Amino acid sequence: MKRASVAALLVLIAIPLLAAMAELPPHGSSETPAYTHVSERYLQRGAQEAGAENIVTDVILNYRGFDTNGEVTVIFTSVVAVAAILLLRDEERTSQERSSTPVSPVLLFIVRTMAPFIALFGMYVILFGHLSPGGGFQGGTILGALVIVSTVVLGPDVAHRMVPAPARPWLQAAAPLTFVTVGLAGLAVTGHYLGFPSGDEWGWVGTLMLVVIEIGIGVGGGTIMASIFWMMEEER
Amino acid sequence: MTDTAVVTRAISAVLACTGAFFFLVGTIGILRLPDFYSRTHAATKCDTVGAGAVLLSLAVLHGLSVDTLKIVAIATFVLLSSPTVGNALARAAYRTGLRPWTRQERSGGEK
Repeated sequence: MKRASVAALLVLIAIPLLAAMAELPPHGSSETPAYTHVSERYLQRGAQEAGAENIVTDVILNYRGFDTNGEVTVIFTSVVAVAAILLLRDEERTSQERSSTPVSPVLLFIVRTMAPFIALFGMYVILFGHLSPGGGFQGGTILGALVIVSTVVLGPDVAHRMVPAPARPWLQAAAPLTFVTVGLAGLAVTGHYLGFPSGDEWGWVGTLMLVVIEIGIGVGGGTIMASIFWMMEEER
Repeated sequence: MTDTAVVTRAISAVLACTGAFFFLVGTIGILRLPDFYSRTHAATKCDTVGAGAVLLSLAVLHGLSVDTLKIVAIATFVLLSSPTVGNALARAAYRTGLRPWTRQERSGGEK
């Protein structure tokens, strides 16, 4: 019975999907809406009406802001899911001993020397996302990688101090939280959720909102990467 | 073209070719050398001398500017990080008991 109903449900979902596929323009056709007017509009007017010089940022955070909003929520959900799976059973194994292999002094010195530069570069990539290639996702990955390298080389104690425990849940949720906050701010200012003010007079507010979202995505993404790594380390 | 421009381009070309040569040799080394340690040795040649020479060639070609400063910064970080990674890899392999290849055990490199 259960199997039959699952199969029936799958068929019910498949029929509209297949019907929609039949309506799609031929693969590679230059007549598709994306090529005829959408991309042209992005390229010609994106910089003025969406708030960022970098068209990719305009598309990701403004034109398709709803999609990215859902995306960062999915990333946050992933850390919740990993935590639910990995941290369920071992509450007593908090201070288990580390591997006895000493870290090479060469590695220690180089990581200590380069850590500030890596952090600086991560922040640069986040903050310059609206001007040049980069942005919250990319910069956050660099920051998260820095925390992971510090965990391996300098030890978990040093790395845990980089992301203070009381703030950790908030930082993990930073991306969806800032997205929703900025979205509601847009609702208050322009009357639309995720509405960004544009034009000569108020364009800077829109740009500022984009930068705030980038910072939120960067901090949240980096924290989530490090958190998942830490959970898997404890599991090992 | 003035004489200095010709000399600059010549230096830049020689450096770029040196870099390309080291990339080629390093790649052949990764594919052909017998065990992990010698392959790591070959791989680090690409990122240190290879990338270093190509970046230096770009810096020479560009002359004095902010971009050159950025290129030099990139070269510095590549020169710092790549040998360190080679060191960490070889150390980890040695600590976990991977024995270096010797001529006596021809097929024993992966033991």
